[in-house]
Formats: sequence, C-alpha cells, structure tokens
Amino acid sequence: MNSQERWDALIAHEPTDRVPCLQFMLGHTAVVNGKPIAKIYDDAAESLACQKNAQALYGHDGLIMHGWANAGGAEFGGDIEFPYRKYTGAPLMKKNPVQSEEDAWNLAVPDDILSVGTMPISLEISRLQYEMGMTVTVQVGSPLTWAGSICGEERLMIWVMRKPDLVHHVLRVVTDFIKKKADHWIDTFGAERLMAFDLCIETNKLYSPKHFEAFGFPYLREVHDHMTRQGTSIFLSHICGEQNKNLPLWSELSYGKRGMVSVGKEVSITKARELFPDLIVMGNVDPVTVQEGTPEQVRALCKECIEDGKDHPGGYALMTGCEVPPQAPPVNVDQMVKACREFGQY
Amino acid sequence: MADEAGIFEQLKQAVMDGDEDAAVAAANAAVAAGMDPQKAIMEGLAAGMAEMGRLYEAEECYVPELMVSSEALYAGLGVLQPLVAASGATDARGVAVIGAVQGDIHDIGKNLVKLMLEVNGIRVVDLGRDVDMETFVEACKEAGADLLCLSALMTTTIIAIKDYLPDFKAKLPNTKIMIGGAPLNQHLADEWGADGYGENAMEAARVAVRLLAAE
Repeated sequence: MNSQERWDALIAHEPTDRVPCLQFMLGHTAVVNGKPIAKIYDDAAESLACQKNAQALYGHDGLIMHGWANAGGAEFGGDIEFPYRKYTGAPLMKKNPVQSEEDAWNLAVPDDILSVGTMPISLEISRLQYEMGMTVTVQVGSPLTWAGSICGEERLMIWVMRKPDLVHHVLRVVTDFIKKKADHWIDTFGAERLMAFDLCIETNKLYSPKHFEAFGFPYLREVHDHMTRQGTSIFLSHICGEQNKNLPLWSELSYGKRGMVSVGKEVSITKARELFPDLIVMGNVDPVTVQEGTPEQVRALCKECIEDGKDHPGGYALMTGCEVPPQAPPVNVDQMVKACREFGQY
Repeated sequence: MADEAGIFEQLKQAVMDGDEDAAVAAANAAVAAGMDPQKAIMEGLAAGMAEMGRLYEAEECYVPELMVSSEALYAGLGVLQPLVAASGATDARGVAVIGAVQGDIHDIGKNLVKLMLEVNGIRVVDLGRDVDMETFVEACKEAGADLLCLSALMTTTIIAIKDYLPDFKAKLPNTKIMIGGAPLNQHLADEWGADGYGENAMEAARVAVRLLAAE
C-alpha cells in the first residue's frame, strides 16, 4: 500500500498492510524544508508545501492540517506573535483579548468570522486541500482551551472558582463562534470531505474532572454533536497530557462516521483502547524522547506503542503524544515509519 | 490575651478557603494583637498554602483552587509583609530569581513555584515570562541570587535552557540553578547540569530549600 491507500483503508475501517504512521507535525516540517517555522502558521501555500514535502521525506501516512493548541485568542482580537523568534515553535498570545470581567461580559461572536485573526489563513489552507483532493481539515476547539487563550489561563481558572457564570458566558460565545465556523466549512467544502479536530489542553494537572465536567465536556459535546449530525466525515480529538480522569466523559462524545483520538504518554494505549473501542487510537510516543533521545530509544518506544495498539479493533496508528518537536533530529523522527515497517506488519 | 493559635488558624483557613477578606481580617487581627508578623505569615498564611499544596499532590484539589488560595495568601501578605520589611528582618532562607524562558509565555507553573518558594520563606524576584536569556544573569547579579529557577513548558523552549545552562553556571558560580516544566525531568536536569529539578511546584520548593540549606 502507498500512504494514501493506507490512510483510505484506515478511515474506511478496512485492513491495512501495516500499522499506519500519522504525524502531528507542523513546525518540524518547516525546519526540514529549510523554512522559518512561522511559515507553517502564517502562509497557507508554504504550510501545505512544507507538510507535503515532509510527508514525502519521512513516508508517514498523514496528517496535514493547520492549527495549534492555544488558538482562539486572535479570533477575538488578541495580539498574536508568529514564531519567528529563536526558541518559539508555535503562535504565541502576546496579549489576551479579555483583560477584565467587563471585557468578558462584552465578548461576542464577530459579525464576519472569516476575516478575524487567523481565519483567512485557515480557510485558504482548507481551500487548497479541497482543490488538491485532500481531506479538508478544520480546527474546532476545544472551547475551554480557546477560552483560556482568550482570557488568559490563570484569569480563567480564578473565574472558574469565583465567577462560574462568567466562564459559561465566555464558553457560550466561543462555542457559537466554533459552530459558525464549522457551518461555513461544511457549506463550503461539504461534510464528507471534512476532518474536524480539537486540540484540548484541559489536563488534570490543571483542572479537576469536576471542572472538566462542568466547563469542558458540555461544550465539547455541543460541537461534536453539531458537526457529526451534519455528516462530518472524520472527527479527531487530541487529548493532550494527563487526562485520565476526563477520559470517561471523552468516551461519551459523538465522533460521527469515523472518530480518532490521540493520546499522550500519560494515557496508556491499553486504557485508550478500552474506552474508545470503535475509534482509531493514535499515540503515544513521547515527543521529548524524539527530541532529546537517541534513535535507539525512539525505536524502542515505537515498538512498545505498536505492540500495545496494533490489534485494536477500532484501528491504530503510531503517532507522537503531542506535536513532533520542531527541532527534533530527523534521524529520530525517521525511526517512526521505520518502526511501523519493522514491527507493525499485519 | 490574644489567641495566637486561633489567629494562626484563621489565617490558615482563609487561605484554604480562598477568602481574601478573611485573610486581611485575620492579618489585621494579628497586627492588633502585636503578634510577630513573620510568625503570622509562616504559621498562618504559609501553613494554609502548604496544606493546599499537600491536597494538590494528593489530587484532592487542583490549580483553580490553588489560584484562589494564592489570592488570599497575597491579600494577607499585603498586610503583614510591610511590617516584616520595616522590622529589618533579612531574607530568611535566601533569594531566588524566577522566570519563564525566552519564547515561553506559559507561567501558571512558574507562578505556583514562586508562591511555594515564598511560602517557604524565600524571597523571589519574578522576571515574568518570555524572558531573554541574558536578562536572567543580570537579574541574578543585581539581586545577589542564591537560586535561579528556569521554567519552560514547550519542547522548543527547553532547548533555551539546554543552550544557556553552561553559560549561566560559568557566570553565576554562587547561584544554584533549578529547572522545571512539563517536558523536563530529572534525567534531563542531570544531563544538562542543573542543580535541581521539581516535578511540581511543591517538590520544587522542597528541592530549593534543600539546595539553599546546603550552602
């Protein structure tokens, strides 16, 4: 099978020749193309080219997308810095758009959501994906993560304790924005062509499972239901970091025709398989080892992950537990597809 | 006669409840009773925060609870700390400089470490987030820092720590250097030559106290 055939089979829930390797690889694709990392985020054509070239270089089977963890703030008027400076690897919120309770109560969905923040770039990438016959990707949250980008995570956490109604108001506005965005993507590209994804950093190192239940889950469910009811083809959730206590609720979300969950090293693949029996489970090679370890250490980790996941009835793909570090040595990244070939044959 | 133990308990409970008004009231009560302000801080406010730290490590409370507790702590410190300064008391355990390194705007963990260092009687100079690496050296020299705490939460920003640690150690021979943040671990700390590492803010404070005591 070639990469496209392997991806198509995985999505169609048909047998693949070996375990696919999917990469959440953004800034690193710029580095291996000799381009500034920022181009992945502020230049649609360059971003797509870098990701496609990197896929050809390494031989992995997907993913090509546009998004990052702390998204949402720019769309509501925050100051964003693209990662041109040394040691930066993703867009930074220099100033959150909400600085006070008054700002939060005044938060509203912009009239023209397509012109705000990084929406034009996201839309352009999706348009290029569509024209090339690719899966069209669209980032749709998570609402709580976006609320943190809008209000500042620390401020939001204090409001979770002291001003829960205010937090719900912010989440209401954010969720309405996301649903409006989703509707535009569905109307423009068709639900069948879409892969919706949410990047969710509301870990249990920060929030309790009760906080997740009150402030995370209801809005995630609303977005997932909104998109899957309209026939969105694929829904991918990146469940970042330590979220073991949130997993039971994650497993209640609708994922539509074909769902995918990616987990970090904090969540065992075994546990993910139990809770998501029908979904593609992806993970969970430690990105820090990919950056700081040896090729042998990366290979060993990959072998372990493949052995844990390869027979998952819902489907399994080898992936890092979070974004491939932009500065990871290519000889380490290269171990991942090699490991799939060596240990992942069916 | 002032019920010293009772006021300590009020200070502690105010922090645990995240009640800024109660913390200020109890701090004023301590002042009115002529209590030693440093003792009121350590056995009242700091004790409350230490208990919250224990609850966090036991997974019985989470960061939002710590945040509101810290608001109450700082409200009480607002009353008591000027009195400590006025008494001429010196830094009990030492001086630390802390910051999130260049390119990193995540500062919740750094702020929690700062809080726990202060709770343990260490004076902290907080440089904030996205701090140019050269600024750390200048700040340490100016403050006479016994400890430098570097925070990084991304794989790109931990590289800044790896790159600059040898330079920092050469330029700050009398300063212990600790590192922390989600991508880091004891193995990397040892490999890169850091003097200490803490998996969370409470552990970081314990390590810091040990490092300063060893001087």
